[in-house]
Amino acid sequence: MVRKSLLVTLSKVGYLLWGLSLSHVAVAQDAGSVFNDLSEDDILIGQSVFQVQCARCHGMLGEGGEGPSLTRPQLTHASDDSQLMSVIRNGIAGTGMPGSWQMSEPHVLRTAAYVRTLGMLPPELMPGDSLSGASIYASKGNCASCHILNGEGKGVGPELSTVGLRRNAEYLRQSVINPDLDQPKVVSRRAGTLNAFLTVRIVSELGVYEGLRINEDEFSVQMRDLNGRIYSFEKSKLSSYEKAFGHSLMPGYGAALTEGEVNDVVSYLMTLKGEN
Amino acid sequence: MKGLTNLLLLLLATSQLAIAQTQYQDLLADEQNGDDWLSYSGGYKSHRFSPLNQVNTDNVDQLKVIWAYQMQATGVSGSGLQETTPVVADGIMYLTESPSSVTALDARTGRLLWHWAPDISNEVLNIGFPRINRGVAILDETVYVATLDARLFALDAGTGAVRWEVDVADNSLGFSLTLAPLALDGKIIVGVSGAEAGVRAFIDAYDSATGELIWRTYTVPAPGEPGSETWQGDDWQTGGGSTWLTGSFDAELDTLYWTTGNPAPDWNGDLRPGDNLFTCSVLALDPDTGEMRWHFQYTPHDTHDWDANQIPVLVDGEFEGQQRKLLALANRNAFYYLIDRETGEFLLGEAYSYQTWAEGIDDNGRPIVIPNTEPTREGNIVWPSLQGATNWFSPSYNPLTEQFFVSNRRMGAKYYKSDVEYEPGKPFLGGGEQALDGDDASGAIVALDVMSGKFQWEFILQSPPWSGVMATSGGLVFGASNEGSFFALDGQTGNALWNFNSGAHIRTNPMGFAVDGQQRVAVIGGRTLFVFGLE
Repeated sequence: MVRKSLLVTLSKVGYLLWGLSLSHVAVAQDAGSVFNDLSEDDILIGQSVFQVQCARCHGMLGEGGEGPSLTRPQLTHASDDSQLMSVIRNGIAGTGMPGSWQMSEPHVLRTAAYVRTLGMLPPELMPGDSLSGASIYASKGNCASCHILNGEGKGVGPELSTVGLRRNAEYLRQSVINPDLDQPKVVSRRAGTLNAFLTVRIVSELGVYEGLRINEDEFSVQMRDLNGRIYSFEKSKLSSYEKAFGHSLMPGYGAALTEGEVNDVVSYLMTLKGEN
Repeated sequence: MKGLTNLLLLLLATSQLAIAQTQYQDLLADEQNGDDWLSYSGGYKSHRFSPLNQVNTDNVDQLKVIWAYQMQATGVSGSGLQETTPVVADGIMYLTESPSSVTALDARTGRLLWHWAPDISNEVLNIGFPRINRGVAILDETVYVATLDARLFALDAGTGAVRWEVDVADNSLGFSLTLAPLALDGKIIVGVSGAEAGVRAFIDAYDSATGELIWRTYTVPAPGEPGSETWQGDDWQTGGGSTWLTGSFDAELDTLYWTTGNPAPDWNGDLRPGDNLFTCSVLALDPDTGEMRWHFQYTPHDTHDWDANQIPVLVDGEFEGQQRKLLALANRNAFYYLIDRETGEFLLGEAYSYQTWAEGIDDNGRPIVIPNTEPTREGNIVWPSLQGATNWFSPSYNPLTEQFFVSNRRMGAKYYKSDVEYEPGKPFLGGGEQALDGDDASGAIVALDVMSGKFQWEFILQSPPWSGVMATSGGLVFGASNEGSFFALDGQTGNALWNFNSGAHIRTNPMGFAVDGQQRVAVIGGRTLFVFGLE
């Protein structure tokens, strides 16, 4: 009965969102799952709660954004249903995932059940050739000059070893072509949602500096330049301090790469799931 | 009392401090006594002002850590956040540690004298707030602490041994106590949290010697009682109006001032039509009976969770040519208010922070609400965020310069409304909030002219703060930030004169005292209490 109700839900939610027919949906539901007694309406309630409480980071369709994609059968911090509900309730320490004390227990249950339906959807298709993408990453793209991947490269931009778990194809494509448009964020419980790789331009009596903000308080700012050098400035001694919102230090590759090459790089990034 | 006696001998032998128990008369004089800090706000008028000036604008750059105390591990999960203000009485510092423990330290060295931890279950309910505690009250030879599971304990000040305990309310319904109790003459006053669980809140007075309940005043009236006309049906039974922050007291007027929080459910006002008295208000109470003398409601029919649980600061002075006894309060709703505390008459309401929900405050003190600023099912952006333009953390009043200092949050939010049904001991919210991007948000320490609310200066903070301020007669304003900075500002200009990186976020109020003739300033960063001085 449960299996049926979830399948029905998937046919409604999944079909609408992904254009898939029921026959494409593989359902793997635990016999003892706490979601077994939920109805189709319950899952739809979970979807509406998700869109209010979770979609800002995880995307309206759970496809990811600031937070990881949830359209995966296995979630890193929630391998079973009770862990998933615990993550929703309490958050994940040391990450941007906050707890949700404001959600009632019935809402936690229904939201978790809805998240599980996202994981039953088939994985995204790769738009290109990942092996070719790996080659472009290493040569023409020169990506390792700014990114660490499986321990190799220079640490200026985001570490990429698990980026395929966290980002969908569309987000990765945009990051490659026009990284100015949507930069990675980090959620601080105390300070709110902050740009994780904010470009800053600093002028002091010693010179002009451009780089990525590492940290900042009322009195000082710490910055990393494109060579990976770390600087610390006292704000009171600066001539100017500019935060360049909407500007990424990463160049856009829309001109340097062909459409096919972009698809290949995106495909390669989609394979990066920390398994190497 | 043996433990206390031993300590007195030790201190007498080494520093010649005159030791006496903390009597009601001492509490009345707390504001003028710079050596001690006997109550949460440093005196009944809640000025959070240190009359000491050994540390001042000329020498504050030489301030250094004298000692530190690292709080103790607890078996109760989620209790790592600290919001306590220590009290200091006769050379002994008493502070709470989350969730509800009490620690006594030698205020000269920081060495531990005793530590008491109540038996609190990991399953304790804290619906709508973290597992914190804001401090103790002290009276005679007893320290009073309210607990997360809604009990009130009286502890022997010398040893930490329990003298009595009472159940204030039922935690399984969502009642909880996080505030520092207020000690009056023979009475201990407490309030409750729980509006996010749909409790009907109250203020209690207990006999300080026995724990007997003397009076209870509900903040949401039952049918037929004054104010009940602002509720419909049975809504009052789950009406909220929490009383979770320590109030103030005017001994001359013999009046207790206590603030109240949001109506329940928080964000869906359709479920509780009316002004919802006495939520989001300040109440003037007879301390002997709990009888309400007057009330003033800051935010009628609140739908943004803008509790009025801020510190009511009692100020005497000339307002528009007339000497008056006033109550100043910088509200979470972004307006600064002055009220005549003898009569409850509204005198002034000025915005002190960016807000988008009201055109202003009318002559009767009622906000002129801008249409379409309610939470919606699709989400509606309004400033300030649900945590408000300020919150529980304390403002400070410098009576020498008539300046009011407040930690100001500058952040907007998207407010949502949803359906909800009351279930005992469950969240009763009817919506939610998404804070706007943090890089678009900020904070500030703001100085206002206390009589006009006029802006004087601001010191910009990196992010919306969660810590209070303390002014001193040395011309300083101490404040702190999420980023961990503890700093001293020039009270006249707002310029930073000294700062210290505590290494962890600060979410407490500064306080001050003196020992061995040396001025001390204390604040907690993360789980570490730092005490500063010149030498």
